[in-house]
Amino acid sequence: MNNYEIIRNFIASNTYKDVKALNETTLIFKEGLFDSMGFIMLIDFIEQQFGIKTSDEDLIEKNFESIKAISAFIDSKIQNK
Amino acid sequence: MKSNKTYFNADVLKIDDVETCVNQITEKLRHDVFFKLQRKGGVVGISGGIDSSVTLALAVKALGADKVTGIKMPEKDSNPESIRLADKLANKFGVTTITEDITAALAGFGCYHRRDEAVKRLFPEYDPDNCKMKIGIKDSGLFTNLPPLFYITIIDNKGTEHTERLPTDEFRQIVAASNFKQRSRMAMLYFHAENRHYAVIGTPNKHEVEQGFFVKYGDGGADIMPIAHLYKTQVYQLAHYLGIPQEIIERTPTTDTYSAEQTQQEFFYQLPFEKMDLLWYAFENGIAPSVVAPVAGYTQDEIQSIFSNFERKRKTTEYLRMRPVMFDN
Repeated sequence: MNNYEIIRNFIASNTYKDVKALNETTLIFKEGLFDSMGFIMLIDFIEQQFGIKTSDEDLIEKNFESIKAISAFIDSKIQNK
Repeated sequence: MKSNKTYFNADVLKIDDVETCVNQITEKLRHDVFFKLQRKGGVVGISGGIDSSVTLALAVKALGADKVTGIKMPEKDSNPESIRLADKLANKFGVTTITEDITAALAGFGCYHRRDEAVKRLFPEYDPDNCKMKIGIKDSGLFTNLPPLFYITIIDNKGTEHTERLPTDEFRQIVAASNFKQRSRMAMLYFHAENRHYAVIGTPNKHEVEQGFFVKYGDGGADIMPIAHLYKTQVYQLAHYLGIPQEIIERTPTTDTYSAEQTQQEFFYQLPFEKMDLLWYAFENGIAPSVVAPVAGYTQDEIQSIFSNFERKRKTTEYLRMRPVMFDN
């Protein structure tokens, strides 16, 4: 599985959504799929899954608004490790 | 009851005739307690805060002071001011009060132990006897579609603060453990209500109910909620009319849940109540951001972001307002 699929599966399993209903541009937070608890879970998940550490400065809409944005954020974090 | 409802302005929520508004509430409260709920009076949990104070005053006006009992339920993390102000309120309205210290009950549930266990996983040096703690949100998320993240702060006995972002497990454990406080208070209120054949008169305001700032079966558990339709600024308007002690009116609303002092704005709302009221009214009445922006002092994009946040908050807290799911035959 690539990063996109890993993130999509995580979001689907935690929001009880059909995986097919999520695409790379689905606005996860704007559409109310995740609340604060979901956001915390997502951060914990990507830190553990990809072995990266997020700072407060990383936690902005540009990096987390969609699966595409999250995947790009993870890639850049891994590259800069 | 409200002025200028035909268009949106800063005074749209101002109650023009507070007396009539109070009379309508107390008439309904009296009718519903006696005839709908068929109870002889009411108990109100009083904390020295504005909402419970207004609720108690309305209950006294509706039912008579002899049919209302104020219940104070401090625990070891409570601010002592809460008791002093609750007493001042009860004296003013001639209400009998009972003090139930729920510390032992909470210790029995493991409230403190379970909460502190989670805190120590983040701060091994945390000593609940010598440190204070609170959880809150960072005041930066108003114009983003991301929901706020929660942070924990411990304050040592030298006054030094240490803050960490809360991870999933610790966040859940601290919140779940702390919610024993509101649920224990609910259980105690029902004891005193049933013991007198009274109703439990709940104290949440409109924002608490609609934005999900309450504990399910905790402070959200009551038989009747006479101010659940009122915006916070309207609660203050009633407070002035009803003669709530000035000290209570001027007190900054706090959660009084954690050992360190924390305002409700810091913990949940992110906005001062005056702005919150106006923006929530605009949101729920579908008023266009272009109309709201100049009145509220934000740009249209900012208003749109705030509305999106409100929508997300309402949607993600639906579970709290749901009644138990029951099956058909």
